[in-house]
Amino acid sequence: MSAGGGARSPLAQLAAEHGLQRVGVRPPFESYLAQAWERRHFMVAMAASKAYARNQAGYLGQVWAVLTPALWAGVYLLVFGVVLQTNRGIANYTGFLVVGVFLFHFSTSSISNGSKAITNNAELIGSLQFPRVLLPMAAVLAELFTLLPALAVMIVVVIASGEPVTTSWLLLPLAVGLQWIFGTGIALIFARLVAQVRDVARLVPFVLRALMYTSGVFFSLSHYVHDPTAAAILQHQPIALYLELARSALLREVPADPSAWLWGAGWAVGAAVVGLWFFWGAEERYGRG
Amino acid sequence: MADATAGSPLRPSLIVDDVHVHYRTFGGRRLPDGASWTSRLRRHVGAVDVVRAVQGVSFVAHHGESIGLIGHNGSGKSTLLRAIAGALPTAKGRIYADGTASLLGVNAALMRDLSGEANIVLGALALGLTPAQIRERYDDIVDLAGIGDFLHLPMRAYSSGMGARLRFAISTASRPDILMIDEALATGDAEFKQRSGERVAEIVEHAGTVLLVSHSMSTIRSMCDRVLWLDHGRLVADGPTAEVLEEYAERTGRPVARPTPRPKTPVS
Repeated sequence: MSAGGGARSPLAQLAAEHGLQRVGVRPPFESYLAQAWERRHFMVAMAASKAYARNQAGYLGQVWAVLTPALWAGVYLLVFGVVLQTNRGIANYTGFLVVGVFLFHFSTSSISNGSKAITNNAELIGSLQFPRVLLPMAAVLAELFTLLPALAVMIVVVIASGEPVTTSWLLLPLAVGLQWIFGTGIALIFARLVAQVRDVARLVPFVLRALMYTSGVFFSLSHYVHDPTAAAILQHQPIALYLELARSALLREVPADPSAWLWGAGWAVGAAVVGLWFFWGAEERYGRG
Repeated sequence: MADATAGSPLRPSLIVDDVHVHYRTFGGRRLPDGASWTSRLRRHVGAVDVVRAVQGVSFVAHHGESIGLIGHNGSGKSTLLRAIAGALPTAKGRIYADGTASLLGVNAALMRDLSGEANIVLGALALGLTPAQIRERYDDIVDLAGIGDFLHLPMRAYSSGMGARLRFAISTASRPDILMIDEALATGDAEFKQRSGERVAEIVEHAGTVLLVSHSMSTIRSMCDRVLWLDHGRLVADGPTAEVLEEYAERTGRPVARPTPRPKTPVS
């Protein structure tokens, strides 16, 4: 546009003269995080609304928040405990199964809903400006809000299974918190991938199903996997690790392993940092294409 | 095309510099009529197309200006506004703004399964209000919406007019520096139209710069002192309202009071 001199167009110079700011540019990473923090109330409101609206359509309303996990627990205990009569070398199979099923479901729904957070909200993205990172984060937070009543059910079932309440139970929120942070990080990575190549969303369910059989949801990994290399890999696999941490907090027979807590914290921090960074990298391009 | 940088003593509030906006669509593809069967397969596999909605638009808006955007359906008016709001990425070109530029409208942030009350809070947060500002303006929003005890019912249960009133009331809670309105005035009944007109005037006064997309030429005439005419994503004319509307009427052969033919079936 301009003849000689700088590459800046006359309009760009006019903008500079009057101190106008560019619209639609990706802010530096730190200010991006600061902007997201400023809009945290919006994220929490989106998450809470989503978790709440799930149960509103029916006579029982929010009773379903507790009834749904209670019915799931009933079905799993009926099938695995009564019909199949398998305890697979675990003394308190009831407690083991309920913790495994509930917390595994938390991770899978976090990742699958979080990965679609950009593509499912195209209209919202196309009409309002806000840090897009709020969308996958809200999707995962909605799953955490849905999990909270389920945790109450889980604790009741664990107590009913004969487990004494000990001080180690105080570690449960920490285990769930780490799992939540990890899920958020993974959701952020998938949200960008799916926004750029939608077909990736079709692959997510297969990954999650593979995780189901390699995370020790229904049985103890150490009871079935004998190859030491495979066992070591599966034990440090994040989802299996978080199930193990929650079980070690609630069940006497699962030993508390300090190195497992370090691994759990490492996966959570690592996934969150990589996820935020990776998601931020395409911030100015989320939109209709 | 008018010179966008015409020497003016006015302070610019918005600069749009050679902006292009493209977007991908999934699930369909435009093909020439005589396409071979192999290329027709592309309707089913790899059915991704790129729409070049805005192609090289430049203009400068100043503080205190009200600008109307006209053009037929699909000319890129709404897409351009979304790009200015920072909601759609530009493929090329730059947009500069003095302060915040945002669209009047909050529909996409609301949830049909939630009550009106919950949606007021959710919508206002989406617009960028702080919880303190929401507490302050909550009663105002409720008054403007005027939907009585339906406020406690989910928005799913609202008539289309009630939904429109609530959405409008929420969206006017924000006070952007550059206000963009996309066909937002044609909602609700007569009484509400009058009240909403007052509220729009209030926001317009605060904003200083207004961009209005409308198919109603009488709205454009009454609100705008300058008009941009877009056609197929390109700027055809930029000038004082009366001049551009006259040119539009001449070139398109359409009376400027009613530029687009109405479809026979009513559209909600």
